[in-house]
Amino acid sequence: MPYILNTEADIKEMLKAIGLNSLDELFRRLPGQIRLKEPLKIAAGLSEYQVKSAVAALAAKNTPVDGFNSFLGAGCYDHYIPAALPSIISRSEFVTAYTPYQAEASQGSLQAIYEYQSYICLLTGMDVANASMFDGASSMAEAALMALRITGRDKIVVSGSIHPEFRQTLKTYLSGFDFTIKNVGFDEHGFVDTGSLNEAIDGRSACFIAQSPNFFGLIEDAAKIGRMIKEKGAIFIMVANPLSLAILNDPASLGVDIFCGDGQPLGGALNFGGPAFGILATRNEYLRQLPGRIVGKTTDRQGKEAYCLTMQAREQHIRREKATSNICSNQSLNAIGAAVYLSLMGKEGLTGAALRSLEMARYLHECLKNVGKVKIKFSSRFFNEFVWEIEGAKKIVKKLYKKRIIAGFLLGEFYPKLKNCILSCCTEKKSKGDIDNFIETLKNVIC
Amino acid sequence: MLKFSKSHEWAKIDGSTAMMGITDYAQHSLGDIVFVELPKAGTKVTQSGRLGTIESTKAASELYSPISGEVIEVNKELAGKPQLVNEDPLGRGWMIKIKIANQKESEGLMDEAQYREFVEKEKH
Amino acid sequence: MNNKLIFEKSSPGRKTGYFPDSGISLAQAQELLGKDYVRRDLPLPSLGELEVVRHYTNLSRMNFSVDSNFYPLGSCTMKYNPKINEALSSLEGFTNIHPYQNEDGVQGALEIIYNLEEMLREITGMRRFSFQASSGAQGEFTGMLMIKKYHETSGNKKTKVIVPDSSHGTNPATASMCGYETVVVKSTRDGLIDLDELKKVVDGHTAGIMLTNPNTIGLFEENILEVGRLIHEQGGLLYYDGANFNALLGVTKTSLMGFDVVHLNLHKTFSTPHGCGGPGAGAVGVTEKLVDFLPAPVVEKKDGTFYLNHKIKNSIGRVRGFYGNFTVLVRAYAYLLRLGREGILRVSQNAVLNASYIREKLKDYYELASTLPCMHEVVFSCEKQAQKGARVMDIAKRLIDYGIHPPTIYFPLIVKEALMVEPTETESKATIDYFIEAMLEINKEIDANPDSVRNAPHSTCIKRPDEVKAARQPDLRYRY
Repeated sequence: MPYILNTEADIKEMLKAIGLNSLDELFRRLPGQIRLKEPLKIAAGLSEYQVKSAVAALAAKNTPVDGFNSFLGAGCYDHYIPAALPSIISRSEFVTAYTPYQAEASQGSLQAIYEYQSYICLLTGMDVANASMFDGASSMAEAALMALRITGRDKIVVSGSIHPEFRQTLKTYLSGFDFTIKNVGFDEHGFVDTGSLNEAIDGRSACFIAQSPNFFGLIEDAAKIGRMIKEKGAIFIMVANPLSLAILNDPASLGVDIFCGDGQPLGGALNFGGPAFGILATRNEYLRQLPGRIVGKTTDRQGKEAYCLTMQAREQHIRREKATSNICSNQSLNAIGAAVYLSLMGKEGLTGAALRSLEMARYLHECLKNVGKVKIKFSSRFFNEFVWEIEGAKKIVKKLYKKRIIAGFLLGEFYPKLKNCILSCCTEKKSKGDIDNFIETLKNVIC
Repeated sequence: MLKFSKSHEWAKIDGSTAMMGITDYAQHSLGDIVFVELPKAGTKVTQSGRLGTIESTKAASELYSPISGEVIEVNKELAGKPQLVNEDPLGRGWMIKIKIANQKESEGLMDEAQYREFVEKEKH
Repeated sequence: MNNKLIFEKSSPGRKTGYFPDSGISLAQAQELLGKDYVRRDLPLPSLGELEVVRHYTNLSRMNFSVDSNFYPLGSCTMKYNPKINEALSSLEGFTNIHPYQNEDGVQGALEIIYNLEEMLREITGMRRFSFQASSGAQGEFTGMLMIKKYHETSGNKKTKVIVPDSSHGTNPATASMCGYETVVVKSTRDGLIDLDELKKVVDGHTAGIMLTNPNTIGLFEENILEVGRLIHEQGGLLYYDGANFNALLGVTKTSLMGFDVVHLNLHKTFSTPHGCGGPGAGAVGVTEKLVDFLPAPVVEKKDGTFYLNHKIKNSIGRVRGFYGNFTVLVRAYAYLLRLGREGILRVSQNAVLNASYIREKLKDYYELASTLPCMHEVVFSCEKQAQKGARVMDIAKRLIDYGIHPPTIYFPLIVKEALMVEPTETESKATIDYFIEAMLEINKEIDANPDSVRNAPHSTCIKRPDEVKAARQPDLRYRY
């Protein structure tokens, strides 16, 4: 039997020791009427070779993005992953360990998570980060819950140019309570409409949540937004692609109180959207409201440096119904992966990845501008993706797809008013050749 | 005048103000205290109402106010040195000073002898 | 072992060069984007690949893991994580697909989700599943929100959720996150839910009850049908916390026990690895009456083609971005294909056998938390040992010296000095015997000289960390 080591002889001997005659008797306390009388209607087990063939055949039915000339981003980015990263992160001492409750037997994961927390703080300028959340969307929802607890207010103001799935998640997370969520739209340049923001944010508002670069790829004037929010005594929550922070101002310097985001761009594969991990970081003064695991540095009984989980009294296993969140496990392996990624890339490599993404996106932007019928939709203050408009966008995207080009993300799905708008992205994996090929094909398709 | 509540807080009543903290028995059963969350000065508190939280490494407990009134002073030292609650619960480990709203409430609290008896009973 | 931080190994000027240099400089980026938007300095280290590889390889060697050690952590189901699952889930056809690419390019992925759902439906008897939740706790949140929306849609004002005092901490925390008041019901002396106590608190305001079965003391809640009747009579629903489902695979179905919503921890019962605390996956299954409340999207099949259905009438919405932890699902799917129907039953049988055997061999030395037979895990109370001077924490730490990862301790909260052992089905009798021997040896040590146990572990890279210091003076990050 796969994965079972007990032999028939072992089983017999163990049953005898317990004083039972059959494996069936182990379940004698189950009422008869709930016992299954027939085997499950599931196929018989397969050999490993058969499993491999069956699942590999399903993998082969998918077409990886690398098989296209892809400009698809929209919250999930196809960056280069150094070979050393999967090699390290697939070490079974990381893969098959549990949450590091027993510090003496888990110093490796603990130190790696401490390094992850440090990296997030260095990148964002925030004082503290937790050991990770599930993903960017749930992380943003938890940030909003933090703001509600900190301020004791009951209204969340949120920018409409945040990833729509993040906003949907926020709505779900708040649905158990009578909180108000107020959306603030964007102006004709694609930025937060500061006029509407001014109206929306009031003495009842716990926070304003903005994304920068926003869902359209645009870099908001976060410093200005921060000042507006502070005047109303609300918390400033910012969502960002962490890779953009390699070249953009750190959120702390912009007045951000809680930073969150999806960690996928930091060495994560696309994985059809998961697993990646969520980033959550804040200022010292809000540390006690931070949900999730936190690793701290301390000393052992002999004064040697040591790491352990700390401030656990915030968490569900101790505080139960009064906990800051119900979160228990997180996405440690992915967070450790981010620490490894940032180490491998280093200061030069990370800046390089961000600059090359920017460079390629700029080049695509310039090229598109010169294509007849194409209109650049918003401002040109973008990082690695931007929005362009063309009549009949859906059809054109389809035609390009047949020529193995994924032009980008059709915004009409989330923004009916932007039905002819396409969000296109470049990472450092793109070359000018890829972009020229896209542009040539596009020209052919539209004439 | 030193008084005690059933939730193991003490109140030192001095005219119209009361200083409060937790008892030696309470700090002992909580173990090493790592964090004390207290209300800001100006906060109105009610007798037996929630006042804040006290955390050890393995537990979190609610703090309750022994008397109603307004918080007029908070022991700022506890923020950096929560261990004072363990080391000197009735002295440097004090938590807040309250301007008493209703003097009569103190009558419902225990004196030292009564509290000692109460603790003995709780142990068993 | 050198455990300097990675930041302390930096040498400015080192560069790994994984892709062509950018044609623009930071100064040019400032010109393009505006000076006010570009940062001046990025305080990250500069390292070489070998340094990084060696650093993290050495860190990994400071861990206990299932691949290197027996890991009988109660409630966590630390079973063997088959290598074929890892190999398959890392195929490019799964890792290099984008959540927003055309559905014709992800048919294989959708088919896996579809097939996995079909198998879990058969295993649990539930009608539909959602795979969005990334963990058991998020699964609970998803399930309880569905219960809430179900009541609201039917116009019932329900305010409270019942949990037994032996429940996982996530249960009451989840109820709070859904805006419910938690009502705790005491357990009987035997460790089962107390029906008389339950009757006292169940009423028209009861939205539901959250239960683990077997419960956290490792006992089968044999009055489950009566519990279900009491709750259902008042219009409440039954939530199944699947953390302990490994005990019942193929023996019963959650539908037969009367549950309306279940979550299954794919990282426990279905062998996907724990990764130092994640990623996991919480599959949430519901009966017919809750199907309209599932998070969108779900995978459907039409004319042989799979697609994502975003239109669910009363959906609670989404609990995260995209579709969940997909590559975790691939692992669980491969596992179930390999097991097949007889293999599935063998899991629960051997899990319960191994735990029952430990119970039998240790019960004369360590006090049992309950006299009832255990299922897949067994809980001891080490009070007797504590009185002799070695608390359960000390016993746990001493086990590390024997090369065994400690069981769960001080949980469930209702058992004093609790030691919760879950051996899982993948361990051999020889390993289990070694564990039993170690426990007996430690018991002897406590009699002879409790100090050696109190000072354990002796063999690890660090001695016990000062957790009080860690919490009083939080040092949570490196600073340059």
